[in-house]
Amino acid sequence: MAKSKAGLLQGTLDMLILKALSLGALHGYGIGQRIAQISGDELKIEEGSLYPGLYRLEHRGWVQSEWDTSENNQRAKFYKLTRSGRKQLILEERNWERLAGATMKALRAS
Amino acid sequence: MSRVKATVDFIHAWQHPDEIADEVEAELRFHVQMRTQANIEEGMTPDEAQLAAKLSFGDFDRIKVSCCEIKRGFPFDLKALRMGLCIAIACVAGGFSLVAVNLPHHSLFGVVWQLSAIAILMCSFLIGRRNNSRRHD
Repeated sequence: MAKSKAGLLQGTLDMLILKALSLGALHGYGIGQRIAQISGDELKIEEGSLYPGLYRLEHRGWVQSEWDTSENNQRAKFYKLTRSGRKQLILEERNWERLAGATMKALRAS
Repeated sequence: MSRVKATVDFIHAWQHPDEIADEVEAELRFHVQMRTQANIEEGMTPDEAQLAAKLSFGDFDRIKVSCCEIKRGFPFDLKALRMGLCIAIACVAGGFSLVAVNLPHHSLFGVVWQLSAIAILMCSFLIGRRNNSRRHD
């Protein structure tokens, strides 16, 4: 039971990271900010947990990173979506919509 | 990430683990610094801001280790690799078999060739079966 819950959360975080990066390249801190912004501050993620997620996505080839200068002139690692990452996001969005729709249907059943 | 870049990164991560760890640490520290700065702008004292930033970040060392482990992970799908190997061996075995049936059966060379074809086919079969059983696990 706990395993499936963790899996769902991990998959959701990955999808949110991909979504945040679909709007443009960002560093890790910026990704956290953007997720909070696009979810209307509804989603609070433990900030450090973003990084294993980012590394995992990079490992799968869905994002790529490079060091650059941040807005406050510090060296930071910026991430951007790859072509396969964009495809994966579309796939995950479809899966999520199907899952959410099915769950809502089940909950509304009398 | 292309397969070539993934392989280069994988080898680099194993050759220079300290460099990877430093890079991960620099990235995580940047995050904590940015959060600290944001907390100060929201009115916290520098000490309070740093403490709050560390707390909201989570277990720094555990996250660092986790990132380094992911970076050192094998970049390819092992199941797909095994399947590719199996197909390649089956193709080689097929080639051997084609040659074997055209060789004189009474010569030692022909017998060795036929035995080789059978051995390669057996390997292909065993790898394929193992791959299949792992897929069902």
